[in-house]
Amino acid sequence: MSAIPGVVAVNTFREAVRDRVLYNLVFFALLMIGAAILVGQISIGIDSLVIVNLGLSAISAFGLVMAIFIGVGLIYKEMEKRTLYSLLAKPIRRWQFIVGKYAGLLLTLFVNTCFMTIGVGAALFYVNRSFARSDVYILVAVYFILLKLAIVTALALFFSCFSTPMLSTLFTIGIYLAGIFSTDFLNVGMVTQNPAVKAITRVLYYVLPNFHNFDIIGQASHGFAIPPQLILQNTLYALLYSAILLIAAAAVFSGRNLK
Amino acid sequence: MSDRHRNPAAWIAAILVPVLFVCVVALQGRIDSSRGTLEKQGDELLVQSGPLLKRLSLGYDALLGDIYWTRAVQYYGAKLPTSDRDFHLLAPLLDVATTLDPYLVPAYHFGAFFLSEKQGGADRPDLAVDLVKKGIAANPNNSQISADLGFLYYMKLKDYDKAAAAYLATSKIPGASQVFKILAARIASKGGALDTSRMIWSEVYETTKDEKIKKHALEELKGLKAQSDEMQLDQLAQEYHTRFARYPQSTRDLVEAAMMKGVPLDPDGFPYVFGADGKSQLDPKSTVTIDPGAPTPK
Repeated sequence: MSAIPGVVAVNTFREAVRDRVLYNLVFFALLMIGAAILVGQISIGIDSLVIVNLGLSAISAFGLVMAIFIGVGLIYKEMEKRTLYSLLAKPIRRWQFIVGKYAGLLLTLFVNTCFMTIGVGAALFYVNRSFARSDVYILVAVYFILLKLAIVTALALFFSCFSTPMLSTLFTIGIYLAGIFSTDFLNVGMVTQNPAVKAITRVLYYVLPNFHNFDIIGQASHGFAIPPQLILQNTLYALLYSAILLIAAAAVFSGRNLK
Repeated sequence: MSDRHRNPAAWIAAILVPVLFVCVVALQGRIDSSRGTLEKQGDELLVQSGPLLKRLSLGYDALLGDIYWTRAVQYYGAKLPTSDRDFHLLAPLLDVATTLDPYLVPAYHFGAFFLSEKQGGADRPDLAVDLVKKGIAANPNNSQISADLGFLYYMKLKDYDKAAAAYLATSKIPGASQVFKILAARIASKGGALDTSRMIWSEVYETTKDEKIKKHALEELKGLKAQSDEMQLDQLAQEYHTRFARYPQSTRDLVEAAMMKGVPLDPDGFPYVFGADGKSQLDPKSTVTIDPGAPTPK
């Protein structure tokens, strides 16, 4: 296996750090500190619950913003700055470039998420003065957020291979929202008598990425056990879906005339 | 020379920005007072559909549930120090919060308290029962919510059959205290007895983590103690009347008649007083209050 995607990935990560992407961590830290101090004053009985819910929601929201807005510019920026041409003049295949860029953004998101998770843990410890055994499910929820971000990043990268950043952003957000409501598509199909609509909604349900699969923030905050088979299934789902999108992205990008 | 010395715009900005900010603050104060009446009219919950909000929350329903629960606490807390007892938004706020996060136990537990309280709440025990039943359906293994149902039936609705059934159901939840089994049996056999009420309030006092509810439970326990004392004193006053053809003037009369060993004091430390009809009463200086709706002693 070539080391080229790894080199591209590390450079993408370095570029993100240079662009001060990780500055969002400061805002996240302030959010956690504020929540840890304030919630006890303005609410009843949900001190640690809010820390987990707010922390995980912020990890998810910050990650989504980063995945979409950085993801759609990964290819476009290289083309605009004309660095892509000097890169592709070297012995590097286009699919390797795509995979490297994807891995680089995922690495950035992973590092960012790790720091945020430490922040959530610190705030939780400040409120509870100890950790419970069930707090381990918070880590599972974080892992599911990362899986979700892996698909969103692949989506953004896929669209950025043939579209402008503005359109790619709209497409990615659109698919993300549709993916959240994919279960509703299925429900619409169930109540309709029209077989064509039924078939279309069924296809949409399976073709759109089902982001609802990864939504366990509520369960994790209440310390409910997450079945191990769900962890395995969601991992496979994210791997499969990301692979489909990356293969499609590589195919589109390879066939693109860059002159 | 620094940039600021060379750039007059920087000087103008350094002076103008703070001045304009002061103007903004002053203007905002005016806007706030102008909007005051509008805000009062707008004291409504725009979206009362929990399922709709759950859909619109884009997967952040648990956090939104926390926010709605905090809104309910703020709504309740803001009205407490005032004479305004219109809590019409409390039940919808709690419903939305618990639909967004069905496992939000504090919303059921404290929300039922806010809804059912007569003086410091909405005085709607029926809505509290609905809320708690919703909580039991979503959290069938939570003994706290299940016990809350028994409490509401016993204390607020005086429906002793349903209270006994609710406490019995609570006792069957794995890990639940055996007190609930005893309570269920006592309520089933005696209905609203003072001893049973004392047991229930003691359980609340021991288990609650909220200081406000703990304080309330303590006040109820003091009231029940006083009610029990008054019951005994009334009995003694009747015996005194039989013997001396007049009612006692004070508890000291009962001691002097050798009907009691010492002067009983209420939980605040004041001796009880007697009315002209021979009924014992709390000293006017005492802060102890007896709930007029407390169970009739049997």
